[in-house]
Amino acid sequence: MRILHAGCRDHTEYAYSVSMAIRQGLLVLLSRGPRYGYQLRTEFEASTGAIWPLNIGQVYTTLSRLERDGLVTAGEQDAQGRVVYTITEAGRAETERWLRTPVAQSDRPRDELVIKLAMAVAAGADVRPVIRAQRTATMRTLQELTRARRASEAEPAQRLVLDSLIFQSEAEQRWLDHCEAVLAASSRTQETPEAPPSPQQGDGTSPHEEF
Amino acid sequence: MSDPVVRLADVTRVHGDGPQAVHALRGVSLEAAAGELVAVMGPSGSGKSTLLNVAGGLDAPTSGTVTVEGVPLAGLAAKELAALRRRHVGYVFQDLNLIPSLTAAENVMLPRELDGVRAGQARREALEILAEVGITEPGRFPDELSGGQRQRIAIARALVGERRLILADEPTGALDTPTGDEILGLLRARCDAGAAALLVTHEPRYAAWADRVVFLRDGEIADSTASALESAR
Repeated sequence: MRILHAGCRDHTEYAYSVSMAIRQGLLVLLSRGPRYGYQLRTEFEASTGAIWPLNIGQVYTTLSRLERDGLVTAGEQDAQGRVVYTITEAGRAETERWLRTPVAQSDRPRDELVIKLAMAVAAGADVRPVIRAQRTATMRTLQELTRARRASEAEPAQRLVLDSLIFQSEAEQRWLDHCEAVLAASSRTQETPEAPPSPQQGDGTSPHEEF
Repeated sequence: MSDPVVRLADVTRVHGDGPQAVHALRGVSLEAAAGELVAVMGPSGSGKSTLLNVAGGLDAPTSGTVTVEGVPLAGLAAKELAALRRRHVGYVFQDLNLIPSLTAAENVMLPRELDGVRAGQARREALEILAEVGITEPGRFPDELSGGQRQRIAIARALVGERRLILADEPTGALDTPTGDEILGLLRARCDAGAAALLVTHEPRYAAWADRVVFLRDGEIADSTASALESAR
């Protein structure tokens, strides 16, 4: 199981994949025409619904690395001290390559929740309260995302970003339901007839109750 | 917000008796005010559908009280209960039960005509609410319409008249995600306009449209997103 030895690499991997996404994202924006740094920041945030806020320092650090790598060129400072950045041919090639290449599962950050539940189950802890608390918290997130999405109907890029986060939260909810059902089933099979499931009241709920 | 449109107070529902008794609901208290959309989630057999049936007066609690628009249902004669249901409660089910030989407009008119409203007025009301839910061809028969459009008609039928309480049981059943989202958008809009709704769903994405999500487990409310933020560990 790969997730079991992934814990401490989690953070740096995440930071790496986020900074790669910002770098490539800014390059894609520049492929539409020359931009100032602050313009890139505004456009990036507008199209992702400010879900990943960028600070302007991040933008300029990223731009200077892109310039160092020959993917953009920086123009002369104008009277207000602003610099226009332009994508190079190499930059365009890089953008096309990035858009064409599928994102590998292993490049994505590890999931803390999966590790938490796996460890708790392995250690024999009662994970039902963990599942329940997480389900409520994830549902609150899902409610917030749904509200944000209703407000972003007119912004297709933003809306698709929110849709992605909604699908992810939804998958997490389903997975939590699944964990609960699987753990309930396995605890039932481990029970002996002499020891009825007293702490889990209602375990004998009959399936024909719902009509 | 004012008085709740529907209120369940310490409701239990037991099917059968003796050792075979099934406790479908165990002391459930829940209310929905005008403007509120409340989602009820839970695994199969957790009591979701029983809760909805009890809230709408289709089933009576074994103990506890159910109040709709300020009227306790327990005190009503069968006839009065039926009248209250027709006047105040609209149901939307997964199997929509639209009548295939009636047009969209006629399906929506039906409950009003049963209530003694004259045909002309029933038609006016039906056309108005159908337009509101986005049905532009009210003369069509259910078979000529898409699943999403049929569900819109079912919602219009649930809402026609003065009914402020909507009880929806898996209303997005077989619909694809964008269509399901539209149906929820419609329910949401009706609540924003002053209705109260209880929505039973097993789909987190649709529950997330609600103001409050209640998790039912073995006939009890196990959790609710309305409770104070608890620490996650």
